[in-house]
Amino acid sequence: MSAQVDVPARLAGRVPPEVVAVVRGAVDSAAARGLPVEPLVQKALEGGAKGVPAERVIAAVRALAGELDASAGALRSAGLAAPDGDAIEAGAFALTAGLQEGQVRELAHASRTPVGPAATLRVAATLAALGVPAKETVKLVRRTIEAGRAAVDLLDLPDRVESEIARGATPAQAAAGLARAAAHLPVGPPDVPPGRERSRKP
Amino acid sequence: MTREFHPLVKRLLDGELTLGDLPLELRPEGEEALRLLAPLDRAPVTLSPALDARVMAMLRRAGSPATARESFRAGRVWRWISAPREVEIRLRVRPWAVGALAAAAVLAALVVGRPSAPPVGDAVAAFGSTRPGVLVRFVLYAPGARRVAIAGTFNQWDREATPLAPAGTTGVWTTTLALAPGQHQYAFVVDGARWVPDPAAPAVDDGFGRRNSVVAIAGPRGRAL
Repeated sequence: MSAQVDVPARLAGRVPPEVVAVVRGAVDSAAARGLPVEPLVQKALEGGAKGVPAERVIAAVRALAGELDASAGALRSAGLAAPDGDAIEAGAFALTAGLQEGQVRELAHASRTPVGPAATLRVAATLAALGVPAKETVKLVRRTIEAGRAAVDLLDLPDRVESEIARGATPAQAAAGLARAAAHLPVGPPDVPPGRERSRKP
Repeated sequence: MTREFHPLVKRLLDGELTLGDLPLELRPEGEEALRLLAPLDRAPVTLSPALDARVMAMLRRAGSPATARESFRAGRVWRWISAPREVEIRLRVRPWAVGALAAAAVLAALVVGRPSAPPVGDAVAAFGSTRPGVLVRFVLYAPGARRVAIAGTFNQWDREATPLAPAGTTGVWTTTLALAPGQHQYAFVVDGARWVPDPAAPAVDDGFGRRNSVVAIAGPRGRAL
């Protein structure tokens, strides 16, 4: 599978040769397990750009490969027989942001059409990156989904948390308040078709 | 005088909820909000055709898709303007509400709502698409910097590839990028050497002892999360 990603060409002149060799092996191994490989190349490029010593770049690439593996495992245990690369990457992002494997599995299992596991995990990871504790992140996302809120409400969660933080709430308080609201608000109208707007009540 | 309404009251004003949907304790606030805004809310707002033309011309100059819309994170701008300390801040301009930008200028005194939402079907259908093109504006306030660039997963972490342009001598640097749907990590590079995470964006550990900023794009006509 490394033929799909020409690791030496991508990394030439950007990282030391020993890093190229390790990343090439990591890419081959990840591809064989059905994992996305681009994040591994990107992590090596990032380390090179930041002037990080070779051993630390290698450690970071290996750690990321482990997170991709863990993400794929969590998604499979959530019932996704063959999770796609986007969802695996989103799950790894969630792990990087502070969620646990069990929480990735829980969110993937809770996700519903039209917002799939990748988008759900990306929302959760963004919330965690905003400083919302992992437990509160999971609770907020789950309650929003389970309350039958519109997809846009789920995608809006990071914005809403940011707004509450700007008003003085801690990330945890913001998430807790929104989770309570999600659970108690009535379900709104179905998602609005493209090009339409919701009617504005006087 | 400004007045901040409860988020649920804002949704009432957005027409997403009715007064009856509000918890009992919020209904007086909701009624007051409706009363205050009723005369303005019912007044038709007509934007000048010339304004429309100017906005469209700006979009064309920026190379934006004609259908793109952006919104402006006014609160973030205001925080930057009013901050009494030196900060470095980046502004993401929402790609889906450019039209709302003009309207927001007209209705600035009535800033009680959140940015208008994109059509949900578009956002969700496009999620995961490989189509590029969600425009995201990055702004950094870096007084004294000689040059500023942005590097991230969208440009192979190239420190030189994506410079920001200075806005006069104000210390504000800016660039607008078309980002593909997905999650991107990035940082600013000041004077070619100093890596600066975006203080206004979510951040994660970069694995090297620093922080990377994060922007997630939900779709070409979706949003930056």
